[in-house]
Amino acid sequence: MRRTGLVLLALAVAVAAAAPLLAPHDPGRGYDDYLHAPPTALHVRDADGRWRWPFFHPLRLVDRLESRYEEDTSREVALKLFARGSLVAEQDESAGPWLPLGADSFGRDLYSRILYGARVSLGVALVAVAGSLLIGLVVGGVSGYFGGALDELLMRLAEFVVVLPTVYLVLALRSVLPLVLTPGQVFALMVGIFTLVGWPYVARGVRGIVAVERRRDYAEAARAAGASPVRILCRNILPATVGHLGIQATLLLPAFILAEATLSFVGVGFFDPTPTWGTMLHDAANVSTLGQFPWMLAPAFAIFIVVLGVNLVVQGSRTRSVAGSIDLAAR
Amino acid sequence: MHWPVRWKVVRRSLRESVVFLAIGLLAAAGVYAVSITIRPFLDGVETKAHAAPPGSGALPAGGNLVSSIRGEPRTFNRYADQTSAVETITFLLHSRLVRVNRKTMEIEPMLAEGWTASKDNLAYTIRLRRGVRFSDGAPFASADVVFAFRAIYRKDKTGAYESPIADSMQVAGKPLDVKALDENTVQIRFPSAYGPGMRILDNLPIYPRHLLEQSLNDGTFDAAWGVSTPPAKMAGLGPFVLKEYQAGQRLVFDRNPRYWRKDAAGRPLPYLDRITIEILADQNAELLRLQSGQLDCIQSEVRPEDYKALKEAATKGKIRLYDLGTGLDADALWFNLRADAPIARGRRPWLQNVELRRAIAESVDRTRFTNTVFFGAGVPTFGPVSPGNRIWFDPQVPTPKFDRASAARRLASIGLTKKNAEGILLDSAGAPVQFTLLTQKGNTALERGAAALREQLRAIGVVMDVVPLQVGTLGGRLESGDLEAAYYRFLTSDVDPAASMDLWRSSGGFHVWNPRQAKPATEWEGLLDDLIARQVSTVDPAQRKRLFGQVQRIFAEHIPILYFAAPRVYVATSARVLNATPVLLRPVVLWSADTLAMQAAPRSNR
Amino acid sequence: MSLLRLFARRAVFGLLLVLTVSSGAVLLTRLAPDNEAAELMASGASRETIERERARHGFDRPVLEQYIAWLSHAARLDFGQSVMFGRPVADLVRQRAANTALLALAALALATLVGIPLGVVSGSRRSGPLPALIRAVSLVCLSLPPLLTSLVLVFVAARTGWFPIGGMTSIEASDAGWLPWVRDVAWHVPLPAIALAIPMAAVLERLQSQATGETLREPFMLAALARGVRRPRLVWRDGFKASIRPVASIYGLIVGGLLSGSFVVEIVTSWPGLGRLMFDGLRARDLYLVAGCAAAGSVFLAAGSLLSDLALAFADPRLRGEERR
Repeated sequence: MRRTGLVLLALAVAVAAAAPLLAPHDPGRGYDDYLHAPPTALHVRDADGRWRWPFFHPLRLVDRLESRYEEDTSREVALKLFARGSLVAEQDESAGPWLPLGADSFGRDLYSRILYGARVSLGVALVAVAGSLLIGLVVGGVSGYFGGALDELLMRLAEFVVVLPTVYLVLALRSVLPLVLTPGQVFALMVGIFTLVGWPYVARGVRGIVAVERRRDYAEAARAAGASPVRILCRNILPATVGHLGIQATLLLPAFILAEATLSFVGVGFFDPTPTWGTMLHDAANVSTLGQFPWMLAPAFAIFIVVLGVNLVVQGSRTRSVAGSIDLAAR
Repeated sequence: MHWPVRWKVVRRSLRESVVFLAIGLLAAAGVYAVSITIRPFLDGVETKAHAAPPGSGALPAGGNLVSSIRGEPRTFNRYADQTSAVETITFLLHSRLVRVNRKTMEIEPMLAEGWTASKDNLAYTIRLRRGVRFSDGAPFASADVVFAFRAIYRKDKTGAYESPIADSMQVAGKPLDVKALDENTVQIRFPSAYGPGMRILDNLPIYPRHLLEQSLNDGTFDAAWGVSTPPAKMAGLGPFVLKEYQAGQRLVFDRNPRYWRKDAAGRPLPYLDRITIEILADQNAELLRLQSGQLDCIQSEVRPEDYKALKEAATKGKIRLYDLGTGLDADALWFNLRADAPIARGRRPWLQNVELRRAIAESVDRTRFTNTVFFGAGVPTFGPVSPGNRIWFDPQVPTPKFDRASAARRLASIGLTKKNAEGILLDSAGAPVQFTLLTQKGNTALERGAAALREQLRAIGVVMDVVPLQVGTLGGRLESGDLEAAYYRFLTSDVDPAASMDLWRSSGGFHVWNPRQAKPATEWEGLLDDLIARQVSTVDPAQRKRLFGQVQRIFAEHIPILYFAAPRVYVATSARVLNATPVLLRPVVLWSADTLAMQAAPRSNR
Repeated sequence: MSLLRLFARRAVFGLLLVLTVSSGAVLLTRLAPDNEAAELMASGASRETIERERARHGFDRPVLEQYIAWLSHAARLDFGQSVMFGRPVADLVRQRAANTALLALAALALATLVGIPLGVVSGSRRSGPLPALIRAVSLVCLSLPPLLTSLVLVFVAARTGWFPIGGMTSIEASDAGWLPWVRDVAWHVPLPAIALAIPMAAVLERLQSQATGETLREPFMLAALARGVRRPRLVWRDGFKASIRPVASIYGLIVGGLLSGSFVVEIVTSWPGLGRLMFDGLRARDLYLVAGCAAAGSVFLAAGSLLSDLALAFADPRLRGEERR
């Protein structure tokens, strides 16, 4: 189970990294005559019943205001491998674009946007996880090693943050900061906020481990030999925390992905035209859109895959399996 | 021996992952399949509203109309507040001397039975209707009209007018003079010639002197009729009275049995027994309820992206969709042309140059814009008056053609020729040609429009960063002048240009590109001031149209504001509403609440 | 005795939490950039009116002064006036908090009724198709956060009409009486409650499964079996009682999760709850409203922790008896 989960996660990261190769279209390119177009159906048998290489009929606009389309059965466009700079694309774009998951309200290909969106959504989450791990490690290490009043203070602070519901905390922090930002600034801001909210989860565990390891014989021996605390921490004790860090990383990742999706969904995260899973759900969330153009919910499936992967990894680890998922669900 | 063990593990992982993905896909497919198959069966369950019996003539009396507003009223005192919630409520509770029939755009006598103008058109002697009573029984007389004027012209400690209505009830900056000639006659004197004439009285609902005179004398008029006022203490001349206000939930209005108006057959109006206005802050929720038939009408038009869902509901017979043609309001893009703007002092003088605006006007393919933003349901516009304003739109005004080459030439003429590797234009200092556009967050038409413009401008090498702001923050930035460019839609209150004097006049607060000028900053703005002043003080309609045509020509030449497209307006009401006359100005249906009627069919909840 | 001490300790912690959170909210909102009179500007109020409103709500005083004023009023349970709505914050918050509580309780009840029994079933059997299926479904549901479930459910409702797509009440039921109102709300609750309950049920199922599995391996179970107690009774009565402990211990965390999840669900389904109110307040920089919402939210949190501790103490006598030495 764990392996399946890791495979899924690795797949998600690989897809995000290889987005330019896999996406048949530019994520910002809007096809004016294909607003709210439904997914283009692929056929393998033509009108005579013969088996063919996959092809599709380009869509024709029937009513622009109602966004109604029909297949133009008089034309066929085949798919090709390694065409036009991507893995799979239509042979020739002039007849009409291939929209495997349909188009959004600007006529942009949803599939390409999900792929490129993975970059932003996963990117924010991964960098924030790294940040949380780093800060959590430092704070937890210092707190566990030196103990005393500093330890009390830091751990109380960490507990306070952990008790609060993540979504509200993140929302409050984001809302009080200027709402006027470029995508790059939004990225940095989100990473900052998530790191601020995520380090306590890491720090608590690290502190516990460090506090225990500190009293072990080998640490005492190192201290007696005159090694500085920093050296002892880094060389001897912190390696013991790697397991915990791994678990926390897998728990924080989906929490941050969901947090980004939630923030963008309510409009205080990324905004148009940056493709992220959250902004795409924001576009889809208009109720008449949902009822009429359900393919716009495709990013939800992408989020589901990543979260499932994480849960598989967590459940597959013998220890902390259930506690881990509690932690996850409570964020 | 690792190999066999690995293979087993791999097989198991594969099996598991297949199982999980299969479950997920199955679930999704199941949901979708169920939803598609069930729908046809459900159609038969819903109650269909019956079409109104043709030609029967007599509208049924009674019924409860349910509508909604998006925001809560802060007060019931229209003289102290002009938010849309109060505006809508005022249409229900009060009457005016004269009103603009929003269907025909002509003025109609209401409380004023008739009037005669003096030879110089400066004084109007108005005959008031006799036997009219307020909803609490007190008689209506000329003293109430005099009181109304006194109330709106009240001044605060600094000597400025307190009431927001005062602005729209002045001519050339001076108030009107009102006196009662007798119980039923009033004379209104204009300080100078006023083209629209009696039309100005459409702004003034008549309030009861006997209930409010005390607070006016005390100086507490502003606080009178606040939201916690018991309904029994308020009275009006309108078709309805406020029965109940449940804060945060709804307002309930009952029929006013003393309403003065009757229909053509002599039947007393209103036809309806009750109007309930729900307070729904969420636009989605409002739309859903309209679609399902829980709401009978809403205060705004149908957005293009909601059209399809409503059309479906209309074909099922649940709602009626009205196509009102081209709207009056197009989206407006303007640059900050103030002399003290940061961008003026900065290193981007081209931002305030008229050639930039002319280039933009030529480089936007308005047909494509309309297709993208309004799904094809719109008309290209080039000036401040939309083609939907048939009375005042001048079709002879020259309009720029879509010509990117010409746009490039114009940009070159102000020194923007070099392009960098990504195709962005560079100015003389080598910096990319880029500016920030503020717009309103949450308004999908504006957000879509800004996105479409951003894409089209990129094609000529100009980068436009769109920053959506909350409406309040946007207002603050517009006030303080802290902006480079803005994109917004102004809702006009009347087709007559005299209703937007603050936009045309250089001293006006709504002269958005450079408001509140002490004296005209440019020659053409001075010319504009002169033309608009003449237009407003001319009585001859043909001459007014000619003068206003010249105003539109100046706009076309100097392009202080860029316009792109005006949407087609659709209004939806439930199928039970009879005799509705939806119009292009808000409130789209409730403006004629006294002539609305309802069918007797039961309300469906689904 | 010690139950009382537990209660007292938790109550103090709760009070401290409420204080810290609302103070944080006040200071955070006050120190935020962008105009707090934004709402008024939007309505076209004149400059004088804006200044007057600002003074009335205390925005023209320095931060600390306003905070202390708010604190002293809050101690008397006067939470100020909302700028956005023009009504006392206490009224608004009370109404919305009740709605959120209703939703959360419905979701919790649903999750418990579905998750716990399924957990017992899957935990009591080591192998076989049923436990495997339950585990698989549980894992899938664990990966469906409320954001996704609410969107999908709204789509299903939009197409099939089985449930109303949003809101808490229909328009008719307003003055029809108490019972129709209850029926109306009961018809609107399932959609958001199910959306919230799906991941929660999965969590409870997993937890219960692990707890049941562990409990069944205890020696006393084997002894009871040997004595002749029938297996189903063993699983459902004795095993169940013993495995309540781990589940009860996390109810506090679950409340936090419910609050988080309900925020998104409220927005998607237009449920008039606390989350929506706080979000609107934050956007409009409505200080007193945000503080009031934060206070209400932290009250929920504290109550949740308290209940979970009480449940734990109730379920595990060992925790109670420590003082009776």
